[in-house]
Amino acid sequence: MSPQLKIAALVSVGRNPASGAPRAARNDVLALDAALALAPQVSVLHAGDAAPALHDYLAYGAASVEVLPLPPEADALAPLAARVAGYDLILCGQRAEAGQGSGTLPYRLAKALNLPVVSAALELTVLGDAVEIVQFLPKGQRRVVRVSLPAVIALHPLAPRAPRYVYASLRAGCVRSAPAPLAPPSPPSPWRSEPAVKKPQKLKAPETRQGHARMLGAIATESKGGALVREGAAAEKARAILDYLRANRLIGF
Amino acid sequence: MNQERKRLDPRRPFVLNPAGLRRITLGATGGFDASLLTAPAHAPAVKPPRLQGDPAGYLLVAAHSLRGVLDAHAHQAIAAAALLASPQQAVIVLVFGGLDEDLRAHGADLVAVLPAAGEQDFAPEQELAWLCEFVTRYAPAHVFMPDNEIGDGDLGRRLAVHLEAEIATHVVELKPGAVAMYWQGGAQLARGAMPPVVLLAPDVVETSLPFRGAGETLAPPAIQVPPGRYQNRGLREIAASALALEEADFIVAAGNGVADIPTLEAVAAAFGAAVGASRVAVDEGKFPRDKQIGATGKTVSASTYLAVGISGAVQHLQGIKACRHVIAINSDASAPITKRADLSIVGDAQEVMTALLAELARRNWADTARESV
Ligand SMILES: Cc1cc2nc3c(=O)[nH]c(=O)nc-3n(C[C@H](O)[C@H](O)[C@H](O)COP(=O)(O)OP(=O)(O)OC[C@H]3O[C@@H](n4cnc5c(N)ncnc54)[C@H](O)[C@@H]3O)c2cc1C
Ligand SMILES: Nc1ncnc2c1ncn2[C@@H]1O[C@H](COP(=O)(O)O)[C@@H](O)[C@H]1O
Repeated sequence: MSPQLKIAALVSVGRNPASGAPRAARNDVLALDAALALAPQVSVLHAGDAAPALHDYLAYGAASVEVLPLPPEADALAPLAARVAGYDLILCGQRAEAGQGSGTLPYRLAKALNLPVVSAALELTVLGDAVEIVQFLPKGQRRVVRVSLPAVIALHPLAPRAPRYVYASLRAGCVRSAPAPLAPPSPPSPWRSEPAVKKPQKLKAPETRQGHARMLGAIATESKGGALVREGAAAEKARAILDYLRANRLIGF
Repeated sequence: MNQERKRLDPRRPFVLNPAGLRRITLGATGGFDASLLTAPAHAPAVKPPRLQGDPAGYLLVAAHSLRGVLDAHAHQAIAAAALLASPQQAVIVLVFGGLDEDLRAHGADLVAVLPAAGEQDFAPEQELAWLCEFVTRYAPAHVFMPDNEIGDGDLGRRLAVHLEAEIATHVVELKPGAVAMYWQGGAQLARGAMPPVVLLAPDVVETSLPFRGAGETLAPPAIQVPPGRYQNRGLREIAASALALEEADFIVAAGNGVADIPTLEAVAAAFGAAVGASRVAVDEGKFPRDKQIGATGKTVSASTYLAVGISGAVQHLQGIKACRHVIAINSDASAPITKRADLSIVGDAQEVMTALLAELARRNWADTARESV
């Protein structure tokens, strides 16, 4: 742990999936926790309003939360990029719980600052001027990736961290808001959003078949029913299994 | 009550159609046309090609393969492109990693394979360069990718940022020219015009298509970029037994037909697999509840599922829908699991498992013998 490392944790306002109540975003809490494990001094940044939910991050260990004021609907990229320029390590969550939640902000930030970006980070270790990241892959795989500092790193929701909510530090910290800048008019969004009540429709081929063919299609089983090994001794059957596994490269021997 | 009932003649003239069905045409004299019967009933029809003539435009699908095959999520992305393409638009599929399967049935017209993009390599700059080369060469109207964690979600975002193109991620609804996705953590559904880069959520496309793709091979992109800022330090594998079932890639599951649990656990250990169970086996107390697979248990997505002594009730099969290779060991050749399984071994579970262990031990012994020579 080098003491002069400048680390920023980007935090957004989360949303309880059941009640919709604003709260600290789960992934961003992980980012904050990982940042605090690397350095005692972490700049905790939020672009937007000084929402009350940001106080949660104080409870999770932030000494203070710095709010970069942003007109509603405006893109958080520009103020964040300007603020974190010169930092060694910028940690964020993989996907926000509010707003678009597209998980693209880390990538756009990295592009704006010309930095490498690694997502799905589970653990990170700083080694001199590089950082080694254990990345999540499905099916029980983990990958180790090393990038040189400075870098943008997005934490995976399954990162093995246990952030603690401490009420006393919530009382001790503060949420500071910089003076509001002159708001440039943001371009109208090309997206229209509505409350998600209807289930989204699956894309499927238009049905052109006539009655009988359609009925056959509906009752036909999707699965083909594979090879059947009936005859032979148990050892041959065992070999049939191993042959199948080998032929499909499912085992490495 | 002597009213005369109108009666249908059960032997009135009919024709047999090619599907072997009786068709009655009123007024026709009918008969039996033997020539119609030569077409076997219910024969799998060859699907017509989708692409008409030379392509006038392209849609690009890019995805990572695993062990030479694309997963269901990637197949959905290809099907989406095929369903949305106009008859003159060809669907190009760019596969990162080897490919041993035919993508025609999934709607691919032109397939380029990059075996050099090693299975789980991390070379985002190289992959981005390849993808960009194709985007420049073919100028696809849209790029479709599965929004997954094996590299496509990452690469898609890098592509959009690199091209400074609009992107839609976690797309849950696709229509010609339009997409929809969840905002505000699922509370809002946002709709808009289809952007150049589209990352699909799983299961938003029906993959059964009424047509087939041309499936021609295309020279892969060739550009080589020097090793960049990302350094791959290799993979770490977590022992399957230490994994939650949902994450395991190889599962050995026991049903009511397994009497000897230690043998089954030994088989699982030999394969480095996780252990699962059917509900009956769990109800009997042979396994803890968190090992149950099925409708009321866990939904798993292992590449390999070895079902030992499991009949394959629908409630169980529901839990293994996403499993790619299912192997069954069952003493009953007509158990429903044999319809789902890619390989069914008919025989006594205990005998086959013991033989399997012996075979594996022999293999280990042979390997060590070879090494010591
Ligand atoms: C609401 C509901 C929810 C359910 N949810 C689930 C669920 O989540 N998961 C689940 O698994 N089930 C579930 N079930 C139960 C399900 O319907 C079946 O009863 C159950 O899956 C059967 O388990 P089984 O295949 O192990 O047992 P069985 O049906 O008894 O089948 C045993 C199989 O082993 C074979 N066999 C017997 N002896 C041998 C031998 N010596 N060697 C080889 N093969 C042998 C037999 O041929 C048979 O095919 C649910 C049922 C209901 C009603
Ligand atoms: N307004 C914001 N202020 C600070 N950080 C943010 C903001 N929006 C998003 N982030 C960070 O970027 C990550 C990904 O966000 P998104 O791309 O919107 O899904 C989040 O987990 C946060 O860490």
